[in-house]
Amino acid sequence: MIAWRTDTVTASALAVDLERLGGRLMMLFAINDAVPPAPPAPRRELSALVRTADGLTRLRAPMQGRVYPAVTPRVAAAHWFEREIHDLFGIVPEGHPRLEPLVRHAPEEAEVNLPGEQDVRLEHRGAERLAGPGVFVIPYGPVRSGVFETAQFLIQTGGEDVAYCAQRLFFKRRGAERRICEVPLEQAVLVAERVSGTSSVAHALAFSHAVESLAGTEVPPRGAAIRRILAELERLYNHLEATVRECEDASLSVGQAQFAALKERLHRLAGAVVGNRYLRGAVVPGGTRIDFDAGAVDLIGSTVADWARDFDRVLEILLRTDSFLDRLVSTGPLSERDAREFACVGPVARGSGVDVDTRRDLPYDGYPAFEIARHSDGDAMARMEVRFREVGTSLELIREALVSLQPGPTRTDLGPLAQDSALGAAESARGETLYWLEPADAHTLRFCKLRAASFVNFGVFNRVFDSQVLTDFSFIEHSLGLSPAGCDA
Amino acid sequence: MIRWFLRGVSRPRVTTRYPRGEEPPPSGFRARALLEPEAVDREEAARLAATCLPGALARDEPGTLRLDASRCIGCGLCVDVRDGDPTDAIALDRGYELAVRSRDRLIVGADRREADITTSPLGGAFRRSLHIRHVDAGSDGAVEQEIAALLNPYYDMHRLGLFFTASPRHADVLLVTGPVTTPMVQPLRRTYEAMPEPRVVVAAGTDACSGSIWSGPEVVGGVDRVLPVDVYIPGDPPSPIALLHGLLLAAGRVQEASSPRLHGGASADAARAGGAA
Repeated sequence: MIAWRTDTVTASALAVDLERLGGRLMMLFAINDAVPPAPPAPRRELSALVRTADGLTRLRAPMQGRVYPAVTPRVAAAHWFEREIHDLFGIVPEGHPRLEPLVRHAPEEAEVNLPGEQDVRLEHRGAERLAGPGVFVIPYGPVRSGVFETAQFLIQTGGEDVAYCAQRLFFKRRGAERRICEVPLEQAVLVAERVSGTSSVAHALAFSHAVESLAGTEVPPRGAAIRRILAELERLYNHLEATVRECEDASLSVGQAQFAALKERLHRLAGAVVGNRYLRGAVVPGGTRIDFDAGAVDLIGSTVADWARDFDRVLEILLRTDSFLDRLVSTGPLSERDAREFACVGPVARGSGVDVDTRRDLPYDGYPAFEIARHSDGDAMARMEVRFREVGTSLELIREALVSLQPGPTRTDLGPLAQDSALGAAESARGETLYWLEPADAHTLRFCKLRAASFVNFGVFNRVFDSQVLTDFSFIEHSLGLSPAGCDA
Repeated sequence: MIRWFLRGVSRPRVTTRYPRGEEPPPSGFRARALLEPEAVDREEAARLAATCLPGALARDEPGTLRLDASRCIGCGLCVDVRDGDPTDAIALDRGYELAVRSRDRLIVGADRREADITTSPLGGAFRRSLHIRHVDAGSDGAVEQEIAALLNPYYDMHRLGLFFTASPRHADVLLVTGPVTTPMVQPLRRTYEAMPEPRVVVAAGTDACSGSIWSGPEVVGGVDRVLPVDVYIPGDPPSPIALLHGLLLAAGRVQEASSPRLHGGASADAARAGGAA
């Protein structure tokens, strides 16, 4: 159960109050009850969630008209949130430095730019729009070479140096927040699992934590231990995915094959113990739908032990491979100042020295104390080293959870939804994942706002290209380890 | 570099022999539901249909139950709700080979006969080698990783003459994932139009096959609303073997999947797994 303090402020003072509050802006969203189904007393308000040293604070700002003074000029982390609110609700943050479509592209803007076709429409970016002889734009995406998720990058370059890189997302928006409220409550977790399919467990956990808070339900210890095992397995294969991609970028074929094989072994384990290679259908509000029998516990224990040995051997070779290190060290630097200013989360933040981890900051499911990996360099290598150390932590947490599995039920029946709002959180492999839920009655949800880690981490994509060259692009992208599906929702 | 070489040659071969050899899924794998529609009465049909988020289980006009496996995400809620029920009308299929040429083959209902298995290869021009262009039209991101896994040592799709290509102009197969979100309709069409003929469209994943759990103004709801689909590979996400099966089906080198009928339609192996569930 996550607690917070609520302050009601005026919309015109929201920016000033948020700046004064300081801390890390976790979420900024609008609630517009005029969107059906409307409750008896419709609200239109902005809501900000901030983490400070004292805990969580929620600032509620009821809206009278459709315009309010933008937060972004004072709190940079609000930049995408305000554009999102503008696109979805028509609420105008006056004075926003770059108020252009984020979530909803105009139809002509959504057109694909195939290689060689010069029909690029540059975004209107105000001061950051470059012009001059020799400057041209490489439209990379939305259909990109190789097997990648859909996103578009408009790379402005004079030839080699990347002068500016603009990211354009939300090609994949499926309306997950609306779907979660539309479907029966006991099926809504299936939608959350499919927001970002590689972080199914983290999304299911964050959603379930929110529902459990609304209902006042406690997860039994066995269910909590199984949840930790699933969440850490998921972290392992996502960190391996980032490693595989970096090896591929460095043309390190044997390394790529070795890490890809290690990743495959984890998916096979997942398929064997959960029935789905991406661990879906396991986490539900109240606990877990699945239980591990003695065979499953042995299989996880023995697989993890063998896996850890093989991983350590391959990693040792990787960390001695100069051609790999050369490409990652000092590539894509993100300063601690930027990471804090833009409220980054997960390995991206920790790689730049920010001490943030949801498992400790908003504790859930009985995680024991563990050391949080951090690095101060802020480059692609730092982000990867954070991941490598987290692999060790995850293995240790899985071993601990296997030992702590006590006999008993794995789930508790969900009571009626009694609270009027709740926040659920979980640390995915990419960072803090948040679900804000409000029920309509005891058994249905009325409002859902989800914020994947990639939504905030994508926001700094254009900040890490300072003095970088074109060939660094994929190293930078994969060291950030982003999920367009999660960002777009 | 010598360390990598030694590491590479010191590891045992792990590559599957599929499709020449069997690659059995783990015993509890949840691929899709199997249904014997005649064994479900009206009351039970309503109860089961209500458990199904993507609408794979739905009631036909006379009140009988119908299963559209192109919508099934294998969550197993329908099987859970019947826990302890002795009648054997619904079960989970653990099979990997799920791809078909026509969506009709994935539908079973009381008044419906499944279409016959198609054996005719597509064109026949691609039997030896296929070049594949992938387009993500709104997937959850896991399908991409399963597609990328085809290159790992366990599956090594190059041994089957399957290759990814960067340009649609060099591609034989358009491999589409996701329920097709509105902003991706044009990019998807334009990629298709850039491909030379003959060309084959493969929908990979339950959401690409039917839209699955997604509906509303944000999504079109399945690749076949935009492009003619030649091969459907259901799965949430489809496993690498399921993807290989679908791609080889596009090349005319394997047979279609059996229908999701619990008794008779499904393969003996799948029915065994289902009976145990």
